[in-house]
Amino acid sequence: MSNTVDPRRKEKINRYKAPKNQGQGGGANEDMMPDYMNILGMIFSMCGLMMKLKWCAWFALYCSCISFASSKASDDAKQVLSSFMLSVSAVVMSYLQNPAAMTPPWAS
Amino acid sequence: MRPVFAFLLLALICACQAQSDFEEGDNDNDFAEFDDEFVGSNYYTEPAAKNAESNSAGEAGGAIGSREEQVPPRKQTQIVDDDEEDGLVEEDDEFEHFQDEEEFEGYDGGDAKDPPIDEQAEPKLNIPNIPLHFRTHWDSYWMEMLMVAGLLAYFANFFAGKAKNARLAQLWFSTHKALLDENFALVGDDGKPENESPGLIKESESLYTLWCSGRTCCEGMLVELKMIKRQDLVSLVAGLMRPQLDTVHIKIDLTRGLMDSFVFAVGSKKTITKVFKEYTDLSKFCSLVGKPEDRYNVPNGFAVLSEVPEATSAILESRIITALNKYQSYIDYLHISDQFSGPIQQEEGNTLKQLETKPVLLAGFNLPKHAEMETIKPLLLLIFYLMERLKTYRMSKEGKSKSDKNRQRVEEEFLKSTHAARAEAAAQRREDKRKQEKERILADEDPEKQRRWEAKEQKRQAKKNAPKMKRLAVKSL
Repeated sequence: MSNTVDPRRKEKINRYKAPKNQGQGGGANEDMMPDYMNILGMIFSMCGLMMKLKWCAWFALYCSCISFASSKASDDAKQVLSSFMLSVSAVVMSYLQNPAAMTPPWAS
Repeated sequence: MRPVFAFLLLALICACQAQSDFEEGDNDNDFAEFDDEFVGSNYYTEPAAKNAESNSAGEAGGAIGSREEQVPPRKQTQIVDDDEEDGLVEEDDEFEHFQDEEEFEGYDGGDAKDPPIDEQAEPKLNIPNIPLHFRTHWDSYWMEMLMVAGLLAYFANFFAGKAKNARLAQLWFSTHKALLDENFALVGDDGKPENESPGLIKESESLYTLWCSGRTCCEGMLVELKMIKRQDLVSLVAGLMRPQLDTVHIKIDLTRGLMDSFVFAVGSKKTITKVFKEYTDLSKFCSLVGKPEDRYNVPNGFAVLSEVPEATSAILESRIITALNKYQSYIDYLHISDQFSGPIQQEEGNTLKQLETKPVLLAGFNLPKHAEMETIKPLLLLIFYLMERLKTYRMSKEGKSKSDKNRQRVEEEFLKSTHAARAEAAAQRREDKRKQEKERILADEDPEKQRRWEAKEQKRQAKKNAPKMKRLAVKSL
């Protein structure tokens, strides 16, 4: 399987072009996890803020964490940051309004 | 005269003294006029005042008499004060009824009198019963503690997983670097004009890419290291239920005209069934080979997608089969195609042009579990070997005609499926052309030309609107 002739060709060098929004190899499509988690986090934050559901606010925080962990390097960091801020504010606001301990959703 | 003057002066001083005593008592206590002490002290000053003014008010009979006489001077002084400060008068008048005991009948007399305010002692505060949940009960916050602990665990895992993925990717790169350097003039490119960081590019915490170029047979090779999402605790937990592996995906853009036209894929059954549905070229050109173990001697658990049987057997020659058998657990799939156009597009109806196709060689490998990268090094050699093989292999005439027929069939199918859409687009183009012509004619100054064009247009419209009929020759009976 080894080659005796040098296969390298300097004149054939092509520079790297980032693939256009398309999964490469393996048939795996682009990972949509960060986007889903971003949206889910936003929904949970809104529920936490509007309906004063503490567990929703906590879930939003988790969602934004997952979104942050699986975000791409080329992705916009602002989006992740805003999702984080929203979920943190949901937690803070819900405890400012009612500092009582959280009751699990199945208990109420 | 002089002793009388001196006496008068003395009397005045005494009167002033008495007055100041009275006022002091008044300041101390609002109810001082009922104070016995005050009455007593006043008693002694009374005669002096009387004598001084030479009033013939009569003998001071007792305490009651002295009190009655004492009250008017006080009121007088108040009035004097009132004249000077009007605001004070109103205030006094307004709240005077608070001091009137008759105003509050049945009200507790003890409370009516304000207790003397002692500034030294702190006021006594009544603390009402606080509801239980407002008290600091750290035990009741167990869910919050759980959540915070979960967050901490998540971040601890994030940093650990991220570091491990980076280490694995770097290990793969360092193991294969020598081989890559031997085969490619450019190894590692970040796409920037200066190529600031040659080497692996981090796409995300679990995806690293490497671009190599400058080799015969190919335009470039893109290596994607898709790691398990170790940085994400949720994915790790999900991985417990559905185990995943670290994978390497290699995509080589072959030079056009290098390979004969055929499509072929071999790989684990699971992956092949998946990609068969997903990729346009595989689903259009290939068919699943029944019993590949017997026909091509591929290892058990492998499936083959083939377009031209002749090409398939030429690719799956003995050396490849040996490699497949040896590295069965590491090879996920091999996909060779001259018609690669990516995954099937969902909105195919909208595309009027056939997707651009290019010849590629795709491969997917699993990374060894214990980071023994040396074990999979020969797989990269297998890829280079395959490339050389594609360069030299030429199909027979029958094979070529078969593959040409297949390409024609696919093109016809595509044209048929987009016929309606294309007809619509053509009609739209015609309409646009006509509009442009009309505008041009109207802009023209020549009325003769315009008239001619209108007549032509009317004729065309009439022809278009006329019912479509066939002319039948009626035979006379």
